[in-house]
Order: sequence, then C-alpha cells, then structure tokens
Amino acid sequence: MNSLFLPLFHLINLLLLPLLLMGIIRKVKAVMQNRTGAPLLQPFYDMAKFIRKAETISGNAGWIFVWAPRVGLAVAVIAAILVPWAGVLLPPGWAPATNFLLMLYLLTLGKFFTMLAALDTGSAFGGLGASREATISMLAEPALIIALGALALGAGSTDLMTIYSSPASPFIALLAGAGLVITALAELSRMPVDDPTTHLELTMVHEAMILEYSGRSLAMIEYATALRACIFFGLAVQTLLQAWPAFHALPLLLHYAASLLGLVMLGISVAVAEGILVKLKWRSVPNFLTFAVVLSLLAAVIAAVQS
Amino acid sequence: MSFIPWFLGDAGFTFTVDPLSCWFLAIIGAAGLPVLIFAPGYLQHLRHRVSLNLVWVALILLMISMAGVVMAANAILFLVAWEVMSLSSFALVTADHEQRDNRRAAIIYLGATRAGTAFLMIGFLWTHHLTGSWVFSEWSVSGAAALVPALLIFVGLATKAGCWPFHLWLPIAHPAAPAPVSALMSGVMIKTAIYAMIRLFILDNHFVLPLLGPILLILGAISAFWGVIFALLQHDLKRLLAYHSVENIGIILMGLGVSLLGQRYHLPLLEQLGLAAALFHTLNHAIFKSLLFLGAGAVDACTHLRDIEKLGGLVHRMPWTTGAFVAGSAAICALPPLNGFASEWLLYQGFFNLAMDAPSAGLRFGALLLMGWLALVGALAIACFVKAVGVVFLGSPRSRRAARATEAGRGMVVAQVLPALMCIALGVAAPAVLGQLGRITSRLGDPSPLYHAWTIPLALIALLLACTAGGLAMWMAALSRLLPARRFITWECGFGNLGPRTQYTATSFAQPISRIFGAVYSYTVDINVKGRNRRYFPDKVTAETAHEAYLETKVYTPLLQSIKRMAGIFLMRLQAGSIHQYLIYMALMLGLLLWVGVS
Repeated sequence: MNSLFLPLFHLINLLLLPLLLMGIIRKVKAVMQNRTGAPLLQPFYDMAKFIRKAETISGNAGWIFVWAPRVGLAVAVIAAILVPWAGVLLPPGWAPATNFLLMLYLLTLGKFFTMLAALDTGSAFGGLGASREATISMLAEPALIIALGALALGAGSTDLMTIYSSPASPFIALLAGAGLVITALAELSRMPVDDPTTHLELTMVHEAMILEYSGRSLAMIEYATALRACIFFGLAVQTLLQAWPAFHALPLLLHYAASLLGLVMLGISVAVAEGILVKLKWRSVPNFLTFAVVLSLLAAVIAAVQS
Repeated sequence: MSFIPWFLGDAGFTFTVDPLSCWFLAIIGAAGLPVLIFAPGYLQHLRHRVSLNLVWVALILLMISMAGVVMAANAILFLVAWEVMSLSSFALVTADHEQRDNRRAAIIYLGATRAGTAFLMIGFLWTHHLTGSWVFSEWSVSGAAALVPALLIFVGLATKAGCWPFHLWLPIAHPAAPAPVSALMSGVMIKTAIYAMIRLFILDNHFVLPLLGPILLILGAISAFWGVIFALLQHDLKRLLAYHSVENIGIILMGLGVSLLGQRYHLPLLEQLGLAAALFHTLNHAIFKSLLFLGAGAVDACTHLRDIEKLGGLVHRMPWTTGAFVAGSAAICALPPLNGFASEWLLYQGFFNLAMDAPSAGLRFGALLLMGWLALVGALAIACFVKAVGVVFLGSPRSRRAARATEAGRGMVVAQVLPALMCIALGVAAPAVLGQLGRITSRLGDPSPLYHAWTIPLALIALLLACTAGGLAMWMAALSRLLPARRFITWECGFGNLGPRTQYTATSFAQPISRIFGAVYSYTVDINVKGRNRRYFPDKVTAETAHEAYLETKVYTPLLQSIKRMAGIFLMRLQAGSIHQYLIYMALMLGLLLWVGVS
C-alpha cells in the first residue's frame, strides 16, 4: 500500500499544500478582520498570473539577482521532499538524506542568495531587509539547532526521519516544539516579527528583500516561501506531536492525516495570532526570539539529564 | 626520514614525513599554488613602493620554512624553521613600509612572534630537561610534571595560531602584508601552530594533560565568536578577513578539544571525529581563506581601494572575481555543498556524539550548547559575508575608482577560480577526503567508525540542486523567449534618481547585530543633526559609530605601557651608550661561558 500512496502524498505535499496553507492563513485572517477576503485558492491564481507576466529587472542587478530565486526554489523543493514535515512518509533508506543540519544549512543557502539579491539592486529597502533578515536568523538558528539537537539526543541520530519515528520524552517535545514555533514565525517573517502583508513600511523584512522582483521570479519566490512555511511549521507540528505517545503507532493514513491536521491548525492559529497581535517594535524582536532560545535550552537541559 | 646527520647530536637535520606531515604539506601546496599564480600579476601594482626581490625571496623562504616546520623531527630544527618562518613573514609584512600603519603592524607582529617563540622555547627547553631528548618521538611527559611545559608550549603555539586572547596581532599584521602574503599567512602559516598542537598534544600523547581538552573547547568557542563579531565591524576588507581567521581557528580548536575529550573519556569515535573535523577544516580554511584574500587583493589591485564603503557594483566590472569571491564566501559560511559545510558538519557530529556519550549531564548539556554556539557563529559569518559581498561587489559603485574598475589580469583570475573549484570538489568528494584523514586518525585507533560517521549524501544533494536550479533556469529561459524581461531602474519611490549614497552601507548593515552585542565592545552610534530647523529640514546629518576592544585597551595596552616603563627604569642603565660598559659585559659573558663550559 505504501508504494502506491507515498508518491501521491508527496505530490500533494509539494504541489497543493504549500499554497493552500497560505490561502487558509489569508482567509482566516480576513475573517478575523471582518472581511470576505480573497478566495481560498487565490495563491494558485496569483501564481498563474505571475508566471504569465513578463518581469522587470533593475538595471543595477547582475547574475545573483537572476539566480537567487532559482536557487532559492531549488533548495526549498529539495528540502520539502526530504524533510518529513507532513509525517514520516519516505522509506527508511532515505534517512541519511534527511539530516537536520544538512536541511537547515541547505535552506540557509537559499537565504544567503536572497539576501545577496536584495543588495544587488542597490535599493535601500533591500539592504534594510537583508540586514534584518541576517539579524533574525542569527538569533533563530541557534534556537532551531539546540531544539532539534535536544530532540535528536533521545533518538540517537541527527536524521530527521529517525528523530520523528522514535519516541521522545513529552517534556522535551513540548519545549522544543514551542521553541520551534517561535523560530518558525521568525524564519518565515510572520507576525509578531514581521508583517507579511505590508509592502511599503519600514518594518518589513522579507518583503523588503524581494521588493524588486516581479513576474516569473516573484512566482518562484512566493512558491519557495510557501514551501519554507510548510517545512518550518511542519517541523514544529511534528515535534509537538511527538508529545503524543500514540502518534508513532498510528497507521500510515492516519499518521499523514494527523500531521496535516496539525499543520492546518498551526496555520489557523498563526492567522488568529496575526489578527490579534501587533507587530513588535524592531528593537524588541531579539527579546522575543530569546524566548525561543530559552525554551530550546530548557529542552536541552532535560535531554542532557535524561540521556 | 633522516639525512645529513650533522654534528648537532640527536638534534640534527632529521625529518619525519608521516601522514600528518603529508596532510599539512598538501595544505601548503594547495594554498601556495594559487598564491604563486596570483602574485606576479598582483605585485605589478605595488612595484613602485615595494622591493619585488625582497618579496619573492621572503615568499619562497616562507614556503620552505613552513614545509620545514611540519616535517621537523626534533625541537631544535622545528624552532629554526619556526624562526625562519616568523622572520620571513615579518619581512613580508614590512614590505610595504611607506605607510605608517604598516610599520606599526610590522612592529606589533614582530613583538607577538618574539613573545610566542619565547614561550615555545622555554617550553621546549623544559621538556628537554624532563626527557633528556630533543626528538619529538622520544618525548613523553605526563602527570603534574607535564603541566607547566605543556602550557608554555600551548601559549607559544596559540599566539602563532591567533587564538583568543593571543590573537591581537593577527588582524593588524595580516592586512598590512601584500594580498598573496596575507593569503599565505592567514591560510597556511597560522595552521603550522595547529599542526604542532596535533603532533604534541593529540596524536602521539607526548603530553598527557587532561585539562587541555576543556581549555581548547572554551578558547576555541570564544575565539570563534570573538573573531566573527569583530569582523562584522570592519570596513577594511582584508581586516575583516583576518578577523575571520580568528573565527576559523576557533572552530579548528573546538574540533581538537572534542578529540581530546574523546581521548579522556575513552570514546574512540569522538576522538577521531574531532581530529578529522579539525584537520578537514584546516585544509578547507586554507583554501577558502586564501581565495578570499586573493579576491580582496584583486579588488585592491584594480580599484586601489580597501575601504568597502567606497566600493560596489563590481559584479559587472569584475565578474570572475565576484564569482570566485561568492563561492569562497559560501564556503566559509559553511553552506552546502561546499567544503566548509563538510568539515563543520563533522564538528556538529562530534558535538552531538559528545552530547550522547559524555559521562556527566553537565558535559552533555555543554555539548548541545556548543552546537547552538556553532550555529550562532555560522549565522554571524553569513551576516558578515553578505555584508562584504553585498557592499563590495553588488549595488552601484560608491566611488569613481570603483566605477572605473576592470577585471583583474588572466593570472589573477585563474588563481581565484582554481581554489573556488577546489571548494566545490572538496565538499562533494568529502568521503574521499575522509579516507585520507583516516590514515592520520588511524594512529588513534581503527578509523572505520569515522568512515561510517559520514552519512549524508552531499554529492547527491549537490547534483539534485544543480539539476533543479538548472531545470528551473531553462524553464524560465523558455518563458522569457516569449516575454523577454525588461530592464528598468531600481524602484526609487518616485523621488527620482537614486544615487549610490542612498544604498545601504556596511556600517548600517552590521548595526542591528552590533547593537545586540554592544556590551562586548561598547558599541555606540553618534548621530549628529545640524541645521536651523533640525527636525524637519536638517542641513547636514552625520552618523559615526565607535567601538572599543576591551582586551586591547584594558589588558594589553596597560601591560605594554608598564613593560615600557620598567624598561625605561632598568634597561636604560644597562644600555647607556658607553663603550666601556659594553666591553665589560662582553668580558663578563665570556667568563661566564667559560665557567659553564668547564664545570
């Protein structure tokens, strides 16, 4: 049965879910704000529109600007195939390729090029966004690696598939999962770190970096962003689900369904939070991310004592 | 291997060439080749200020003496080669001596090498006293007796390596030398100290010192962080790169620390992983750091600018240099599939294995903390290199010189592309490199666990990445045949005419991070607004940042001042300028030597 379903699941994971999740978040946010909002499938329509349009490139830009979206999307696709963000679906032989250090650094490669591309046009917005993105990832990455490291300690391996298919202590899972949710908000430039809906505010991070992109390149960036959202939210959901002891014992279909349900629920709660919360002042963002670091350090303490 | 047994007794011209020496010889060769290809083209623009004969002689002496250091079988020969290395590199630092900063840098460098060699010499003499031999392979000291000589030798080596808190000379001396020399000094010369540490403290247990593992881990962790946060503040491209050498030496030392902890707790895999990570990173750093210094040299030669705030837009004018520099930056930031990632991944695995197998919970937590620490250092390095690449090569040129730049000569381009290709090859072929490393670590035990520790299919990921990105590019190219992309100005909010001054500067790029770590170096930004209506219509706005390196201002400067004062009080009497006095000294010295010789 597995051989039949797995490719299908993966196709759904890659093609449908990321944009659908974005649509759900936007819709819930619109409802929170008493608006009808765009249709649920609007991200798909946008994608089709972007692909059909010609792009405008800044005269300053060089090859980095052109290649950054391609590298960013390639990296996101590879990570989305390998990272078990929708439950452990790949056959066990794939485990070494899902090493969490490899995956995180691979995603960082995409971020590195995005930041460079932001500086390539010579726009002050790009510099602003890149500088802030670098600051945020400096704070988020240690939290991510410590949280996943604490979780990996119980599994005895740094491969994500092995981590998520072996039982973990509920305390570690909850603490690390909470840390991962916060870092995911930061990595994905969502509220309260950054406001993904503003396009011309001095508060923005990710949108400032991609301000110069249009047309096909923008489509690639949007899709990569959606994939990254699924990866980071999925990691947080999988980690939180580790706290539920029966999760591993579920049959494949239920396992997949539970993972997706968790993902959608996290998406909805992010949207609700975005409706309620205000964006943090830029200078308070490091304090917010310190919570993530502290949570993952607590998870690490428990993991160190228990093992 | 030993030849020409000279009259020096057991300290003749004897060499050992074992796998460890071979590894470091390979490093000297791998970094030396591009440097030597690069040098002729680069030195052209210095020919009016610098004596080229001196530079070439000193450069060749430096290469030979580095090879001598890593092959020397006994302490005397080691010290001789070490001194030739220090003095020839001093000659190179002082080559461009018309600038006052360079003279100061050369004096500081000379002082640091003297202090380092003094520690090393006392340590070697002490060990000779304990073991009665100069030959490294006959040295074996353990217990309390090992403490003092081992620490003396360690301080001497750490000074050369540029490990915190002995790194002070490194960011001053390396930028002062001509770029190929900086590449060689930062890439290779400081690694000879790593070689000696491995030889003396890790591989053959010449000194058994349980304390050294934690010391190396802590000093390495501090060096790594210290180097990168100071690098973020720099505007001089070569000084920025020099601070990154401090960072990378820290990473290498952490690997050695992991290896020593593995030795201490009898965890063979850890022992091998740590050493392999350190050795691999030593090679990688030699390659990407020399590549980056050569890139900085090419920029310097083509624009005569080193202040990154005046550069920009070189991606259109120097495409090859830009490409190679981006590859080197990605490698030093440990981005897959390049070589820096491979060695840092091994170090992460070392930490992770320490976190699994260490006997105490504190140590296990410490190992997890170190994983986060390495991630922090890596993310800071990314910030720093995005800043460097972005401000130097991207955007629009910030000065006329940068706008008029043209690509460096063919030799200089080849010299940069070569190590860039090596960065890719060493990352993709990491298992083969590990096979070579196994020959060195097999001295510690069976290396097969090390081979199995490498689990990630990096080459496959690299291939997938290339195919996916290439496929996307082809699809996009097909689309743009139907609807070609339009070139237009960068969006300027409708104000019209964005000047290069409106771009983000390196200082503003680094400001958010510098502010977070402001306490480490009392970072201040002083904004000064002038004009009658200062709030809405200022005439002139200036912003100035300042920082203070506490280690320099609070520790080293007072120390040097007091040494100077003491010298003023005591040494002045001894060296009074009277020839009679000097003759008495000579007679006294002769008498003393005769007495020592007779008794």
